[in-house]
Amino acid sequence: MDKLASLLHTTPAIVWMVGKVVVVFLSVFLLASVWTWVERRGSAMIQDRIGPNRALLFGRWPILGLSQLLADGIKFFFKEDLVPEAANKGLFWLAPFLAFVPALMGFAVIPVGKSFICDGVTYHLSVLDPGNGMGLLYPLAIGGLAVYGVLLAAWSSNNKWSILGGMRASATMVSYEIGISMAVVAVFMVSGGYDPAEVIKAQGHLPWTWYVARQPLGFLVFFTCMFAETNRLPFDFAEGESEIVAGFNTEYGSMKFSLLALAEYSHLMTASALVATLYFGGWQVPFMADPPVLLSVASFLVKMLFFAWVFVWVRWTLPRFRYDQLMHLGWKILLPLSMANLVFHAWRMSQGH
Amino acid sequence: MFITFAFVTLLGALGMLLQKNVIVAGLCMVATFFGVAGLFLLLANPVAAALQIIVYSGAIMVLVLFVIMMLNSHEEEAAQTARPVQRWVSVALVAALAFGAVKLVLTSAGLKALAVSGEPMPGAMTLQKVGTTLFAEHLLGFEVAGILLLAAMVGAVALTKRNL
Repeated sequence: MDKLASLLHTTPAIVWMVGKVVVVFLSVFLLASVWTWVERRGSAMIQDRIGPNRALLFGRWPILGLSQLLADGIKFFFKEDLVPEAANKGLFWLAPFLAFVPALMGFAVIPVGKSFICDGVTYHLSVLDPGNGMGLLYPLAIGGLAVYGVLLAAWSSNNKWSILGGMRASATMVSYEIGISMAVVAVFMVSGGYDPAEVIKAQGHLPWTWYVARQPLGFLVFFTCMFAETNRLPFDFAEGESEIVAGFNTEYGSMKFSLLALAEYSHLMTASALVATLYFGGWQVPFMADPPVLLSVASFLVKMLFFAWVFVWVRWTLPRFRYDQLMHLGWKILLPLSMANLVFHAWRMSQGH
Repeated sequence: MFITFAFVTLLGALGMLLQKNVIVAGLCMVATFFGVAGLFLLLANPVAAALQIIVYSGAIMVLVLFVIMMLNSHEEEAAQTARPVQRWVSVALVAALAFGAVKLVLTSAGLKALAVSGEPMPGAMTLQKVGTTLFAEHLLGFEVAGILLLAAMVGAVALTKRNL
């Protein structure tokens, strides 16, 4: 790394930082695009179909239809880029980026592996080093911004269906955020810290000391709310194609639509990473107190991709809720459960002292 | 960094005032909140920055935009009569306020303490510190604020749902 740094006329710290940013965000981006394929193959598997398996890489290798996503990308690039006549042009352009950037940014605090020491320097495997003071408040803050992309896409299209979708999205987002925050506060309380590194350390390496075992209720609430946060079925009311055409992305086509879709999948990746970090010990390897760095990264990836798969699995298993059922579930079931979880753990901690 | 965040804050605020379109004005306000969050970060207070974004950009502005969309009034209404006197009075008031604020900051003890070299810099704010300060030093204020918010919430429900 020192050699590379001197070649580029910078310091090793900057090379490491830039490398981390590029590698982490590129991998999330790539995983998000691969997940569009996983979703299609997974839905096909669940519905007893075959799914996309025809696209050939360089016209020769059918790797399970994986090159479908390349073909999709090329197709989206060359499609005509339509902007509706009455749309607010600037915001119509801005909205897909506003949806995509927060979805990707939330990943920045999540440690993807164990910190390691090389030549007396500690390297952390998260874009924002631990002890930055924002900790897990950061993904909550950034996650709350994701709604602006949907809201703006909806409003700038100047279409009644779109606006309906946007309004539903904003109402859902605000309602479910409270449940998420309460569940996360219980985790903060028990672990005694709000930095992801501290939360992971407090969970230890034994599966029954992970927070999913210690706070099963908190996990259920958090995971359910995440479906609403990421606008995924059974809670995808912003889109709701059987009711409001396609909601906020009715008027979107070509690359802008593709960006909106990628934003959804990046958000899904960030949500899965958060679930893995908060409730499944992050990079901890079961029954291994001090795992090698690469194994810890692999462990984190396995956990994250498993939850990303659960998001796909649930989407093709459960039907969509009705809008009033969604609000009922959020305010009258998940919020009280989340509060009960918080009070219960506070009470247990007070008994412990 | 300070200049960048200050510019984001001020441009956002200006944009909010000058924009005729209510939704765009709301977005400019979100930009202002971001600038202020950045300034909090520079003041070694990442907790305040995170809370600023969670509460203001993540919840309050979303609700405001929600209401604007619901009422479907996207353009600002024109004033019925020109109000030249009010305009000048407001300009004078703002100027006086700005003058007073700048003077207060420049003569404050905190700024003088900065000039003394060798003073230990206070550490960055953490959530734990916020909690201990709130519950140890400002317990009364905290509880009063809690009761006030609860009363406001009960009042809002009572006003909107007449027949519960």
